[in-house]
Amino acid sequence: MKTAQAGTLESMDCIVSVTESDKGRGISIVMEGASVARFGEAMVKATKDTLKSLGVRDISVSIQDNGAGDLVLKARVEAAVRRLAGGKAA
Amino acid sequence: MAINAVGRDIPDSIPGYGDVKHFKGHDRRPPEGNRFGKRNRTAFNSRTDKTLPDIKAAISASGLKSGMTISFHHHLRNGDFVVNAVLDACAEMGIRDLVIFPTALFGVHKHLTRHIQSGVIRQIMGSVNGPIGQLASEGGMSVPVILRSHGGRPRAVTSGEVVIDVAFIAAPTSDKYGNLSGAVGKSACGSLGYAHSDAEYAQCVIAITDNLVPYPAPCIHIPQFFVDFVVVVNSIGDPAGIVSGTTRVTRDPMRLLIADNAAKLIEATPYFKNGISFQTGAGGISLAVAAYVREAMRERGIKGSFGLGGITEFFVDMMKEGLFERLLDVQSFDLAAVRSIGENPNHVEISADWYANPWNAGCAVNMLDTVVLGATEVDRDFNVNVNTEADGALLHGIGGHQDTAAGAQLTIITTPLLRGRIPCAVDSVYTVTTPGEVVDAIVTEFGVAINPRRQDLIDAAKEAGNVPLVTMDELIDKAHGFTGSMSPVETEERIIGVIEYRDGTVIDVVKQLKKK
Repeated sequence: MKTAQAGTLESMDCIVSVTESDKGRGISIVMEGASVARFGEAMVKATKDTLKSLGVRDISVSIQDNGAGDLVLKARVEAAVRRLAGGKAA
Repeated sequence: MAINAVGRDIPDSIPGYGDVKHFKGHDRRPPEGNRFGKRNRTAFNSRTDKTLPDIKAAISASGLKSGMTISFHHHLRNGDFVVNAVLDACAEMGIRDLVIFPTALFGVHKHLTRHIQSGVIRQIMGSVNGPIGQLASEGGMSVPVILRSHGGRPRAVTSGEVVIDVAFIAAPTSDKYGNLSGAVGKSACGSLGYAHSDAEYAQCVIAITDNLVPYPAPCIHIPQFFVDFVVVVNSIGDPAGIVSGTTRVTRDPMRLLIADNAAKLIEATPYFKNGISFQTGAGGISLAVAAYVREAMRERGIKGSFGLGGITEFFVDMMKEGLFERLLDVQSFDLAAVRSIGENPNHVEISADWYANPWNAGCAVNMLDTVVLGATEVDRDFNVNVNTEADGALLHGIGGHQDTAAGAQLTIITTPLLRGRIPCAVDSVYTVTTPGEVVDAIVTEFGVAINPRRQDLIDAAKEAGNVPLVTMDELIDKAHGFTGSMSPVETEERIIGVIEYRDGTVIDVVKQLKKK
């Protein structure tokens, strides 16, 4: 199972880890961190929007959040997905 | 139900709390009745030694029974061994359903979880920090936690609203006849300010010490005529947790900017003159404000009158330098403060009653010019929350927040605009601790918002020309622009925490968190 990662645990950043999923399994998202209680919905939306724009339908995403805003989260998701596709954890 | 003066919908009666007196405004509840009197007792000279062999013997002698109320002070902070030891002894003796009435609990009191779950403890009246707060927030206690400020608690005790059956007073030094001192001993903690009302008003007072000295003890803080029994144990606490080392002024540039803004505001007001009195917390930003104010006092040749509250080395140094005449100390935070209170007659121990009780002939906070406080959230009406976190968990006490805000001429709240993604300036705070009517300014790294009720301060700041003024609306909009909208906290209907204002009215309640 291929995995890739992007981001840091600096304040207002997050670590996004993505793992490939079998076709048809859809998108699964696991999140942890202090903002999840109040921004969970926003984080799920930002993640799904990014995956959609990248054309990804089946993937499992894990977000360790340390207060990232939507822009940062989207960038980390995109970077992780591109690393997964490139086959290297660059 | 009634909507109170800060817009909160509060029931007229709360299970486990009783009838509610609704908050109507910060000075709207007149005092009632007389001071509470405890029963008389006598100790003739046939008994000149109050020591008992152990905690259990003292509990037996006190007459403590299931369902009663026992109290503790928090001067040993996160180093305290006494609360856990007393509750262990109660559990072993089969005493249950206790109401515990500490001035505060700390992380070290996580140990009490087992006694809550087994029914030894029925209710907590006092702040619940960390693990116990989490437990209560998730519905782990059958009766709501009741939070009172440092002034509200002695008000409840001296008025008889709360009757303490047995007070357990951790004493760094005692003699066999119960003269207690916090200033000396291996577990020295300085001021015993929070314990005074308990000593004076509890039906029975048990001192627990690890330093028994010949009669009479030195530097007496609580005198013998309040104390019924004395127990000697090996250790009442861990010195590393009792006093902190030197607290450093923050080096974080963002926090320094907030502190600089706060100091500029103070300097711009008419309170910045000879005789100024001042209180700050021991946190990083507060201490940095004190550092900037000290610089300004030196530069402009200003001498202050007194420093109040929790006293740190920083304030001790300011007094030594002549920038304060005296320190009024309800809690000594570090080693330098502990040493100073034992040596310097201008470093005066004050009780919580003296410090902040709104129902006496005048408490110390009323004489305060400037206080600098923190917040977890502030809102459009300048209401402040220090009790709950963004996820709705009740994790912090009130401390002296309500009291100093109400008493001081200039109440400044310093807070970063964001903590991670969590905005600290919001439309409406999740929990109201301190009403906006007693808050004068919110100071952030993005500017200073002065309460429109204080046009005099706005004018003074404009005249000074160097205070970066913004409106509260601008701060809230800026925060929202960074973070986006928050989802609401999901709660059950059950109330797990009652936040009293310092006058004993209910300013807000905290509800149980929904299971995830």
